[in-house]
Amino acid sequence: MIVTKAKYYKDQNGVNGSINATIDNIECCVPIAEDNTHYQAILKWVAEGNTIEEAD
Amino acid sequence: MALSKIDVVNMVTGATPVANGGTGQTTFAAAGLDKRPNATPLIVNGDMAVAQRSTSETGKTSAGYYTCDRMHANIDSIGTYTIIQESLSSGNAYINGFTKAWRIDTTTADASPASGDNFSFIYSFEGQDLQLFKKGTANAEKFTLAFWVKSNKTGTGNVNLFDTDNTRLIGGTYTISSADTWEHKVVNFAADTTGAFTNDNGQSLKIEWFLDSGTNFSSGTTDTAWGSKQDVDRNASGTLQIARNTDNDWAITGIQLEVGEYTSSTLPPFQHESYGDNLMRCHRYFEHRGYTIANQQVFTGQTISTTKCTGPVFYGVKRASPTITLGSAICGNQHNGVAGSVTALSTLQIGLDTARLDVTHNASTANFAITQGMAYVQLDDTGINGLKFDAEL
Repeated sequence: MIVTKAKYYKDQNGVNGSINATIDNIECCVPIAEDNTHYQAILKWVAEGNTIEEAD
Repeated sequence: MALSKIDVVNMVTGATPVANGGTGQTTFAAAGLDKRPNATPLIVNGDMAVAQRSTSETGKTSAGYYTCDRMHANIDSIGTYTIIQESLSSGNAYINGFTKAWRIDTTTADASPASGDNFSFIYSFEGQDLQLFKKGTANAEKFTLAFWVKSNKTGTGNVNLFDTDNTRLIGGTYTISSADTWEHKVVNFAADTTGAFTNDNGQSLKIEWFLDSGTNFSSGTTDTAWGSKQDVDRNASGTLQIARNTDNDWAITGIQLEVGEYTSSTLPPFQHESYGDNLMRCHRYFEHRGYTIANQQVFTGQTISTTKCTGPVFYGVKRASPTITLGSAICGNQHNGVAGSVTALSTLQIGLDTARLDVTHNASTANFAITQGMAYVQLDDTGINGLKFDAEL
């Protein structure tokens, strides 16, 4: 999976609820869940030096 | 009507797998069994009947799940491919009950793969579905893998069991004897008393059919005993080299994994599921909503601003909280029917069986600007678009 963009999105309680990401050129909503493979790919992308943008 | 007797033997007799071109009958009775070891096939969609994502993908140069559900193409810097769910109407696989297959065709060759390039077809299991193999215990069971395969190439293929929990691997081989001919293969793997599969929803085992690679994956020897994974062994016996010429293709169907050791003549028959049962099992990993009917609504939510609506969407319980995507869609006002394009999909929360979507539509849409009431999201067309929930391994 190739991650090119990731940005947190806040839930109705004002905390980060998910991540809006672009993975393999597809915009998607990724849960913050360690058993989700897209989230795993984002964590790997972060480990490579990238940053998940803060939510608006 | 009362049911007084179920004749299990006659229910299964009649399946006639052809082993390596042979004609032997295989029945539970012939195998010395009075029941199948497992209630349902361990492999989901082994007959390739379900293809929710699409039935054809072209120009693929990287790894992904293409066409048939649960089937993964690992393409790592090694050519370009078309992948289809192939419909079968003749041949040995067809006359043994298989009407669909996963097929890959090389469209841009890599005549000389670099050392680290690799190309394989992969099926992955959750650890909690493999506990019956008792791996890592004194009572560990053997594995038998069977499948139908066809290629324009003859030669030897490597197929490995890769224990991703313990980074252990065992290799096997199969031989394609006749070009462009469906052949049934049965490969046995030893039991492993070392390294238990983790009993959870994570990936524990991959079956990997290597189709081609560079020397980093082929310069060793196929190890037919379990041991620490050595990449150089994983395609050490492979001669198919599917990536190297645009004439090449490779197809597979009827994959079955059994507990214990079977031969081509004692192998239990493939256990065909109904399409509906198969689809429901696939939904644990991927669900595609609203792609069969044009202009179908896939979501209804409450309008919370002039440009947004939000609400829950429900799906079948997933392996893990799924990633959600929405194809080309419009968002419409429930009261007056005015609609505008969806400009963003976000999720407030995503759980195993439901999520709360947050849909943004084109703010310039005339007459949409109400802040109360209901709105709907409607797909623009049929086909690959739609609301998708992905919880694959």
